[in-house]
Amino acid sequence: MSDNRFEFVKMEESASEHLSAPRYSYWASVFRKFFSSKVVITMLVISAVIMLFSFIHPLFSHYDPTSQGNINDKTMSFIKPCLEYPFGTDRTGRNMFDAVWASCGNSLSIALIATGVTTTLGVIVGAFWGFSKKLDKIMIEVYNVVANIPFTLVVMVLVYVMGAGKWQLIFALSCTSWLSTAYFIRVQVMIIRDREYNLASKCLGTKTSTIITRNIMPYLTSIIVTSIARDVPNFISYEVFLSFIGIGLDVTEPSLGRMVSDYVQYMQAPSASYLFWIPVILCAMISVSLYIVGQALADATDPRTHMI
Amino acid sequence: MKKYVLGRVIRAIIAVFVVTAIAIIMIFTMIPRENIFRDDTAQLQKLNGKPDDITIYKNNKWEQLGYLDFVRQAEMCQTESDDYDACMIVNEHTVVNDNGIETKEYTYSEEGEKVIEAYTQKGYKVQYFVYGGFYATKDYSGLEIVFNFFKNLIKIDTPSAVQDPDNPDLERKIYIGTDYNGVPAIMCSGCEHNYLLYFDGNFPFIHQNFISLNFGQSYPTYQNPSTLDVINSSQGSLDNREQTYPNGKTGNSADNFHTCTYKATASLDHMDANKFDDNYANCKSYYTYPSMVSMSYIFGIIALVLAYAIAIPAGVAMARNKGKWPDKIGIVYVNIMIALPSLAFIYFMKVLGFRIGLPDKFPILGFDNIMSYILPVIILALMSTASLMIWIRRYMVDQTNADYVKFARSKGLSQKEIFRKHILKNAIIPIVNGIPSSIILCISGSVITESVFAIPGMGKMLPDSIKAFNNNMVITLTFIFTALSIFSVLIGDLLMTVVDPRIQLDAKGGNE
Repeated sequence: MSDNRFEFVKMEESASEHLSAPRYSYWASVFRKFFSSKVVITMLVISAVIMLFSFIHPLFSHYDPTSQGNINDKTMSFIKPCLEYPFGTDRTGRNMFDAVWASCGNSLSIALIATGVTTTLGVIVGAFWGFSKKLDKIMIEVYNVVANIPFTLVVMVLVYVMGAGKWQLIFALSCTSWLSTAYFIRVQVMIIRDREYNLASKCLGTKTSTIITRNIMPYLTSIIVTSIARDVPNFISYEVFLSFIGIGLDVTEPSLGRMVSDYVQYMQAPSASYLFWIPVILCAMISVSLYIVGQALADATDPRTHMI
Repeated sequence: MKKYVLGRVIRAIIAVFVVTAIAIIMIFTMIPRENIFRDDTAQLQKLNGKPDDITIYKNNKWEQLGYLDFVRQAEMCQTESDDYDACMIVNEHTVVNDNGIETKEYTYSEEGEKVIEAYTQKGYKVQYFVYGGFYATKDYSGLEIVFNFFKNLIKIDTPSAVQDPDNPDLERKIYIGTDYNGVPAIMCSGCEHNYLLYFDGNFPFIHQNFISLNFGQSYPTYQNPSTLDVINSSQGSLDNREQTYPNGKTGNSADNFHTCTYKATASLDHMDANKFDDNYANCKSYYTYPSMVSMSYIFGIIALVLAYAIAIPAGVAMARNKGKWPDKIGIVYVNIMIALPSLAFIYFMKVLGFRIGLPDKFPILGFDNIMSYILPVIILALMSTASLMIWIRRYMVDQTNADYVKFARSKGLSQKEIFRKHILKNAIIPIVNGIPSSIILCISGSVITESVFAIPGMGKMLPDSIKAFNNNMVITLTFIFTALSIFSVLIGDLLMTVVDPRIQLDAKGGNE
């Protein structure tokens, strides 16, 4: 073989610095993983449609549960679901389509705000709780007491004491539940905080708050999403139940629970059972779809599931 | 270990008291006190048109419930004045105003004004009745209410408890006697209760009256008996049975003679003389149906057994077939059960049950018919299966990779043997932790299921009391539920150490 068949290659210093690993982007992987299941996409569409209707429709319908404008018009009462009234009307001639979406919007916003408060407070307190041994001594005692009291009891007594109303209900729901989120986070923080890279960070003089936000929080994303996925359906369930037994929201505020309790009398009536089943089924659809989407998101945000 | 348990018990007691105190302060200070009369329309309607009687009735009730101290003119004059008769004088004047309408005005004697001044000094608020006379009230602060509540909470029965001026020769002693059935019992003369310790055929078979808890009266629903009696005494109609009375005669009566308490001589009548030869004639009655606590217990225990009977095999099957279709079906079931609002689930089940002929409300067929129990029990059981199943699966899957399982496999044990004899035993330990609380908390009933089915149990009691503003009942239930939950967690931890001696609660390991 003659030398002229060879070519000189210029030596590149930088080539040795490149690693031949596949490109990895955290959020791209999260999205790929999340959208890989057809069930999840269906559920996402369902929950998105329900949410859009619940939050936008009441803006136009201005539904007021106390007004009974059509009560004397017999032709308006008990219209079965049709094109003009997709969910029919009730005895007093109220358009159920307006009522249902206003109620959904209210129930959803209560659950979402309560989850927001619970998660924010829980994550912040939990992160510092996991780090500080002094705080741990006090908080663990508080947690032991609060966690042992039945949640139903706490919520009911708080709602009772503060009176019916949306913000009172949100307060009652999030008043003690943030503690269990905080405890959940605390345990995870404790597991992660003494890993070598955190010790190194500490040795280099990084502030505790920076270690928490930069080094630990990214690890907690999937845990936080899991807790959110659990809280939202749970809070919807509680709101529905409390309004159902008549101690949640007052009469002036539309709510799925109140609808269920108002129309439960028609459950067995073949001509009007839609009044009862529409809110019940919708309430089931909201929490099941949100729960499944949340679970899928929690799985997708866990970096360990991104390995191919 | 003893030290640890003692520490836990002390902390638990403190926790129960703190929680109850917070509940009391919130309920007594934050809820408008007028609300308690909302469900007492019958009594207030009777007093309609008599504003003074309404004032007296309301203030008396508030005093009974511990809101305030209420004193009327007579009492005020007795304590503060030297001249009672002068103090009680109410002068009536008729005043005619510009429009010619007559109104009455009242003035009080110098002595009366002095008493009013004295009570104002003591922090009381003195007010005047519409038709003459005055009264004073003093609101208790939150801390005073809590103090009074705990002061009256524990009552110890002693032979000097009864104070009856008509019966000065009452013997005062505790003795071992036999009850009207001839069974030995610790009895007392002079105590509030006739029997301090006795045996009978009802759960828990040994009953004591030495120490009783007093949570105050139930009002405005279930008026007047103490709150504990409301949830503890049986329901339904009187259950008359052939009995031997304490004085030896026999007859048909619904009285439960073990529960008799002292009745003042002045109020004894010939009916009592027929049955009793002493003053212990105030007896509770037997009723045909179980109490609220028993009701919740019956439902709770059956549902619990059913739930474990379903969940353990299902969880084991899921773990054994991890990733295959039994596991997948199980996971779908668990997810739906967790996500579905309990109310929706209960109604779905209710309609299914109704289709096959089960009643949709408990009172329709009542206590005697077994059909009334089937649907609520199944619903209660299914609602607790989801979390049990997922935990059993979790624990078992975790155990499958343990070294002892690999060793067992290499010894040549079959998969079935490994799961049954090795893994299940270890996986069940964390489940054991939850068993005591499940059993004990059956008492508290299931709030949702009992409300939907109108079952007269403890769970329905809480929302019912809240809706009726029955403050004492809410406080009683808060105390009971909190105490039961906190102590059942402790018992669960202790049971875990019994089942698995490797677990040490007070070990200095873990996170230092």
